[in-house]
Amino acid sequence: MSKTKKLVVMALLTAVELTIWVIEGQIPPPIPVPGVKLGLASVVTLTAMVLLGRREAGCILLMRILLGSLFAGSFSAVLFSLAGGAVSWAVMSALKGLFPEKLLWVVSVFGAIGHNVGQLLAAVAVTGTPGLFWYGPALLAAAIVTGAFTGVGAMYLIRALRAYEEKRG
Amino acid sequence: MKRKTLFWAALFALLALAGAAVYALRGGGTAAVVTLDGKEVDRVNLAAVAVAFERTYRSERGWNTVRFSPGGVAVVDADCPGHDCMEQGEITDGAIPIVCLPHRLVIEIKE
Repeated sequence: MSKTKKLVVMALLTAVELTIWVIEGQIPPPIPVPGVKLGLASVVTLTAMVLLGRREAGCILLMRILLGSLFAGSFSAVLFSLAGGAVSWAVMSALKGLFPEKLLWVVSVFGAIGHNVGQLLAAVAVTGTPGLFWYGPALLAAAIVTGAFTGVGAMYLIRALRAYEEKRG
Repeated sequence: MKRKTLFWAALFALLALAGAAVYALRGGGTAAVVTLDGKEVDRVNLAAVAVAFERTYRSERGWNTVRFSPGGVAVVDADCPGHDCMEQGEITDGAIPIVCLPHRLVIEIKE
């Protein structure tokens, strides 16, 4: 992939991820529990990590978080997003090479767990209320379900993108 | 490969169930506890609330108006930029607390 093409693909993926993120924020969550979000945008992060690389996925994620906070207009959410995003990215980067691609959803689940751990740590650090750790188990359960869902989604997207690329030659 | 998939699926299912169990077991309680910047500032027995009432908690960072009703508690107004705390609506159990990150306000339901 040429440098220019890579840049264009990254910009496109950032736009796609940002769009998904903004739209998901407008839809009432299926479970009325805060912090429990499907996190569909992470499908794009994971896809970028597999097709482009760790650093590229990190760039896309960071841009989405910064642009997203601009769109949502709240700075406190950036801290939350950054904490979740950073841990999630680190976990997925570390695990990506250890699992075959057929088990990519496992990487996604660990990434989702990392995301919630990061957010919980940020919440505890900011509010100074260690009692919040009690909500860890609930967030863990939620992360497993949402992580598996987005992971499978990413696997399908990667397959579709590869098939498209092959057809075009 | 099939066995590995099954292994991870089973492990995650177990973990999720365990997490959900802890969540369910901790669900009870009737005391709404308001914590501001890590310090408990208010405690309301929701079982004893007959008529809903509101209280406003202020700090140098901003204010949140909290409505205590029979069996539940919600943030109804705040001057924070995000309003995540208001969007959450009313909580009636100890499962997930209301957290207003910019004002460092936490509302939990405890025993």
